[in-house]
Amino acid sequence: MRKIRILLADDHKLMRSGLRVLLEQQADLTVVGEASDGREAVALAASQRPDVLVMDIGMPSLNGIEAATQIAQSHPQIAIVMLSMHSDESYVLRALKAGAKGYLLKDSAEADLIRAVHSVAEGKSFFSPAVSKVLLDDYVRKLKRSGTEDPYDLLTPREREVLQLVAEGKSNKEVAQLLGLSVYTVETHRSNTMEKLNLHGVPELILYAVRKGIIS
Amino acid sequence: MSTQVVGDDLQLRKRARKLRRILLLAFGGLLTLMVVAGLDALHSLRQLDGIERQVNQRYSTHTQALTTILISVHVYHDQMERYLLNGESSEGSIDADDVQNCGAKVRDALQEYPADSEPDEQALLSEIQQKFTEQENSFIILVRQRAGERPQERLERMGEQMMLRRAYILRISREVSSLNDHKLMEAKQYLAGSFRNVQTRLMSMVALSLLAGLLLSLLGGFYILRLERQSRTRYEELVASRQELEALSTRLVDAQEEERRSISRELHDEVGQTLGALLVDLGQLSKVVPAEDNFLQGHIARIKSIVETAVKSIRNLALLLRPPMLDDLGLVPALEWQGREISRRGDMEVDVYSEAVSEQLADDVKVCVYRLVQEALTNAARHSGAKHAQVSVAQSGEKIRAQIVDDGNGFAAERVRGMGILGMEERVKRLGGSLIIKSARGKGTTVLAEIPAALGVGLKS
Repeated sequence: MRKIRILLADDHKLMRSGLRVLLEQQADLTVVGEASDGREAVALAASQRPDVLVMDIGMPSLNGIEAATQIAQSHPQIAIVMLSMHSDESYVLRALKAGAKGYLLKDSAEADLIRAVHSVAEGKSFFSPAVSKVLLDDYVRKLKRSGTEDPYDLLTPREREVLQLVAEGKSNKEVAQLLGLSVYTVETHRSNTMEKLNLHGVPELILYAVRKGIIS
Repeated sequence: MSTQVVGDDLQLRKRARKLRRILLLAFGGLLTLMVVAGLDALHSLRQLDGIERQVNQRYSTHTQALTTILISVHVYHDQMERYLLNGESSEGSIDADDVQNCGAKVRDALQEYPADSEPDEQALLSEIQQKFTEQENSFIILVRQRAGERPQERLERMGEQMMLRRAYILRISREVSSLNDHKLMEAKQYLAGSFRNVQTRLMSMVALSLLAGLLLSLLGGFYILRLERQSRTRYEELVASRQELEALSTRLVDAQEEERRSISRELHDEVGQTLGALLVDLGQLSKVVPAEDNFLQGHIARIKSIVETAVKSIRNLALLLRPPMLDDLGLVPALEWQGREISRRGDMEVDVYSEAVSEQLADDVKVCVYRLVQEALTNAARHSGAKHAQVSVAQSGEKIRAQIVDDGNGFAAERVRGMGILGMEERVKRLGGSLIIKSARGKGTTVLAEIPAALGVGLKS
C-alpha cells in the first residue's frame, strides 16, 4: 500500500517533533519533510510534492495563511491542514479561503491529527470538533439575539443535500452524478442555497456547513 | 520637585507683593511731593501778597500824614506872617488866637502821625515837634511884646529866626519823606527777594518731582522689560515642556505597544507552544501506558487538564495583549474576532462591517484602529449596558474611517474624560487623525475616528 506522504510546517521544533512521532506511529503515514517557516514550506512543497501539508498559521517571515495561498495555487493537489490555536471564525474562514481542506486546533492535535490527515487525503474536509462548536455557538447566539430565523430552515431537502456534498469538497459534476441530476440543476440548487444563506463563495459555504455540523 | 515649585511660587508671590508696595510708596511719594510744592508756593505767594499790601498801605498813610503836617505847618506860618504884617487894628484881620488855632492843628497833625514808625522816623518827628514848639513859644513872646511896636520892626526882629526854624522844619519833613521812600524801596526789595526765593523753591521742587518721576518711570520700564523677558522665557519653557510631554506620551504609547507585542509573542510562541508540545507528549505517554493502569492513566489525565487550563489562560492573556490575528490576518479579521469575542463574553452583540480596507495597512494604523475599537467596545460593554454595537471601518483614498456606535446609556462626553478616552485621543492624534466622541445620557455613544492611512508599508514580521 502506498503511504501518505506528509510535510510538517511549524516554527516550533518541539511541536514538529511531537507531531512527527504521532504520525510515524501509523503504518500508512510518512513524514517527508519539516519546514520551520512559511517560505521553507513553499519551497519544500514544490520539491517534495507531499500528499498532505500540515501547517501552523502563526509562523515568521511568511505566515501559514499566505503560504497556503501560494501552495494551493501552484499545487492544488496538495491537501492542506491548517494547525491553529484559534477556533475563531476569522481564522477558519481565512484558512478556507487560502485553500485549506482541514482546520485543526493545536489543543486537540494529538487526538485528531491522524483522522484529519486521513480525511483530507481522501479529499474530504476536516474540522476539529471544538471549532464546529465555537462556530455554531456564535451562530446560534447571534440568531437568538437578533431574533431572526435560521435561514437553514428555508432550504429544501434537495438544497440541503447539495449544500452538504459541495461542502464536503465535491465538484458540481460529482454532485450531479451522486444525486442523478443534471449539472445545471445542481448549479441552480447551489446558487439558490447560497443566496438564501447569504454566502459568498465556497469557503463561506464550507464554513457554514461546519458551523451547522453538516460536515466535520 | 513639586514642593520646590510651590516654594518658588510662594517666593514669587511674596516678591510681587513687595514690589507692589514699593511702587505704591514711590508713586504716593511723588504725588505728595508735587502737592506739597504746589501748596507751599500758593501759601508763600499769598503771604507775599499780604505783606506787599501792608507795605503799600503803610507808605500811603505815612505819606498822607506827613503831607497833612506839611500843609498845616505852611498854613500856620502863613497865618502868622499875615498877623504880624497887618496887626489887629485893621478890618478882617487875623488875631493871635487864629494863629494859635493853626498851631493846634499842626500839633494835631503831628499827633495823628502813625504810631508804627521806626525810631529814626520818630526822632525826626520829635525834632519837628521840638522846633515847632520853639516856634510857637517865640510867637507867644512876640505877641506879648508887640504892643507899641511897629509891625515892620517886629517882623524884622523875629523874622529871621522864625524863617530859619521854618526852613529847618520843612527840611526835616523832606527827610522824613525820603526816609519813607527809602523804607518803601527796602520793603519792595525784600518782597522781590522773597518772591525770588519762592520761585527758586518752587522750581527746585518741580525739578525734584520731574527727576523722581523720570527715575520711577525708568525703573518701571526696566522692570516691565525684565518681566516681559521672564514671561517669554517661561512661555518658551512651557512650549518646550509640552512638546517634550507629547513626545514622551508618544514614546509611551509606542513602548506600550511594543512591550505588549513582545510579551504576547513570548507567551504565545514560547510558553504556549511548549505547553502544546507537552500535550502531544502526554497523549503519547497515555498511549504507551497500558489502558488498564488506572493509577497512571488518571495521573496523566490530571496533568493534561492542568496543562490545558494553563494553555487556555496563557492564550487569553496573549490575545488580550496583542491579538496575533492583527499580524496573521490583518485588521478586518482582527476586528471581527474582537467583536465576536465581546459578543461571546457578554450581553452585547457586536456587528462588524468593513468596506475596501486594504490588507497592507501600516502597522501603527492597524494597531491604532484596533485599540480604538477595543477601547470603545470595552467601554460600551462594561459601562453602558448596550445590547448592540456596530463597528464600521471604511477606507477611502488615503483615509481610514472607523465608527463605533452603541445603543447604551451614553455619558456626558464633554465632562467625562477617562484614561481610556485620553488614550484613544493620544493614539489618533499621533497619527495625525481626528477623534470625535458624541454621547448624551440615554442616547448611546458614537466614537468616530479618521486616520490618514498612507503611512508606508506595514511592519511584517
